[in-house]
Amino acid sequence: MIQIKDLHKSYKMGKNSLHVLKGINFNVEEGELVAIMGSSGSGKSTLLNILGMLDSSDSGEYILDNVPIKDLNETKAARYRNKFLGFVFQSFNLINYKSAAENVALPLYYQKVPRKERQEKALKYLEQVGLKEWAGHLPSELSGGQKQRVAIARALAAEPKVLLADEPTGALDSKTSYEVMDLIQKINDAGNTILIVTHEPDIADMCKRIVHLKDGVIIEDKKIEQVRAEQYV
Amino acid sequence: MFDRDIWQEIYHSISNNKLRTFLTGFSVGWGIFILVLLLASVKGMQNGFTLQFSDDATNSIFVRTGTTSLAYGGFEAGRRIQMTNDDIEYIKRSFPNDVEYISPRVYQNTSARYKSETGSYNIQAVYPDHQAIEKTIVNKGRFINANDLINASKVAVIGRKVEEDLFKNEDAIGKFVEFNGLPFRVIGTFTDDGDDNAERNIYAPTSTYQKMYGQTDHIDQIALTYNPNYDLTEALAFSDRLENVFRRRFKIAPQDQAGIRIFNYAEVFEDISNFTGGLDIAVIIVGLLILLSGIVGIGNIMVFIIKERTKEIGVRKALGAEPWSIIKLVLFESVFITALSGFIGLGIATGLLAAIGPSIKTGAFANPSVSMSMVVTATIILVVAGVLAGLIPAMKAARVKPIVALSDK
Repeated sequence: MIQIKDLHKSYKMGKNSLHVLKGINFNVEEGELVAIMGSSGSGKSTLLNILGMLDSSDSGEYILDNVPIKDLNETKAARYRNKFLGFVFQSFNLINYKSAAENVALPLYYQKVPRKERQEKALKYLEQVGLKEWAGHLPSELSGGQKQRVAIARALAAEPKVLLADEPTGALDSKTSYEVMDLIQKINDAGNTILIVTHEPDIADMCKRIVHLKDGVIIEDKKIEQVRAEQYV
Repeated sequence: MFDRDIWQEIYHSISNNKLRTFLTGFSVGWGIFILVLLLASVKGMQNGFTLQFSDDATNSIFVRTGTTSLAYGGFEAGRRIQMTNDDIEYIKRSFPNDVEYISPRVYQNTSARYKSETGSYNIQAVYPDHQAIEKTIVNKGRFINANDLINASKVAVIGRKVEEDLFKNEDAIGKFVEFNGLPFRVIGTFTDDGDDNAERNIYAPTSTYQKMYGQTDHIDQIALTYNPNYDLTEALAFSDRLENVFRRRFKIAPQDQAGIRIFNYAEVFEDISNFTGGLDIAVIIVGLLILLSGIVGIGNIMVFIIKERTKEIGVRKALGAEPWSIIKLVLFESVFITALSGFIGLGIATGLLAAIGPSIKTGAFANPSVSMSMVVTATIILVVAGVLAGLIPAMKAARVKPIVALSDK
């Protein structure tokens, strides 16, 4: 699903150049649930930005679902993001004046799906995350865990190839975190490919594979026995 | 393009910043309000001028001759140019399609007497056409007709003031009045909207006066109206042609202003329309400058809104919003605020004009009003203004990097 070859990225800081990614190589198969770990400054966020087409690499190859991702202009990047990727953010990033259902429908709006179909799909995905009754509520009326579940529904609504989650449990208490991880595991069980950036070991243990970054290189890449979140819920 | 989602966004954005939206919208509304009122005032001046001149037919031309001031064509300067009846026929023949009505004028001062009342008046000896040229309103009897002209009848059409002075309470029609001792029958009386002095005039047939005073065919002035379908340019071109023909006919130097003078009302109108046209431009510039401050205000509020919504825009982009859809969002909002507040200003201004405009009528100022084309122009200006106001903020919004959605700082 994802093939990355010798990915380099450096940022110019005045005269100095900060080499953040120093040759990353890794592949992700369809249906994997991968945790990307590392301390701050390890390059994990930069890697996620590049995977999310929010940033471009200096050199190297990135192939997503057999499509080489390179030379993207803003419009093309937006289309690819919409088509290939679903995002889940640490701070949920729901649009605060739109109801839960409208938030979920937003990526479909950018796919130019007709309004009625958007609403139907939004309700379907809200049901999947267990929030159908909350469809008409504004984000401010939801708890943190509920917000993140709406955000996950939104990421799923576009039916992306890959789900990218940036510290999805970072703003949640541990009980809610496990609930969210339980949901993510179930989505993964249904066959979705998911990448999670996290620095919490217990969250990483709930994935099927852990990629450890340090100083811009992968120092460890191992498949693990998945810890089911269900038992903590 | 105008789907519900866009309206929802605009509604939300406006209702979240009610006061700010109102204040900036007010400046645009105010700008349009002032612009419309200023333009209407210029229109009022135009109307006032037109009203003042509309007493006489506005398509009239007067030809006078005098004494040449330059030697030309083998003649010395100081030659007196005298027009005759032939010149009338000549004009009719030369410009059959240009001339509508034409009449000579022979001027004569007279002392008039009826019974014991006397008075001194101006007599203009004219053709029947003159009624149409001067827009003389005959309120009793009739004007001079073709038979009077052929028979050189001693008949007169007298002004209302003349009748008042000489006949007191009697009806003048059919009575005989003496002009310099010769009896004339009064066949009609007339009034004039223009002024009381015009009502002290007396009209008589040209032929009568030419016979009475030395069997001449001399005339003092030619008054004519041209084809009423002519616009300003055509009218001016016609009087130029007329002038050239006369200068050749009487051998007057082209630059000699004393020998012949052709007065065209169109020239006055050209001056007036030049003047009010100049005012129009000045007013439009002032109005647009006022509007500009409103546009800057709206641009300002939009920049702030974008700044507040940077994160939201980032999220939208991460979810697949193309730059154009972001630009569209900002532009629509800007156009909406500008257009709405502009229309309110436009509505108040036109409403005000419709209510009080028609009652304003003083001297050179009458019925200030706005035309439909002005309203359409103002609308176009508003939409353009909205786009301009939104352009910079929209581009700023389109440049927002979706990364900001990921950074949780």
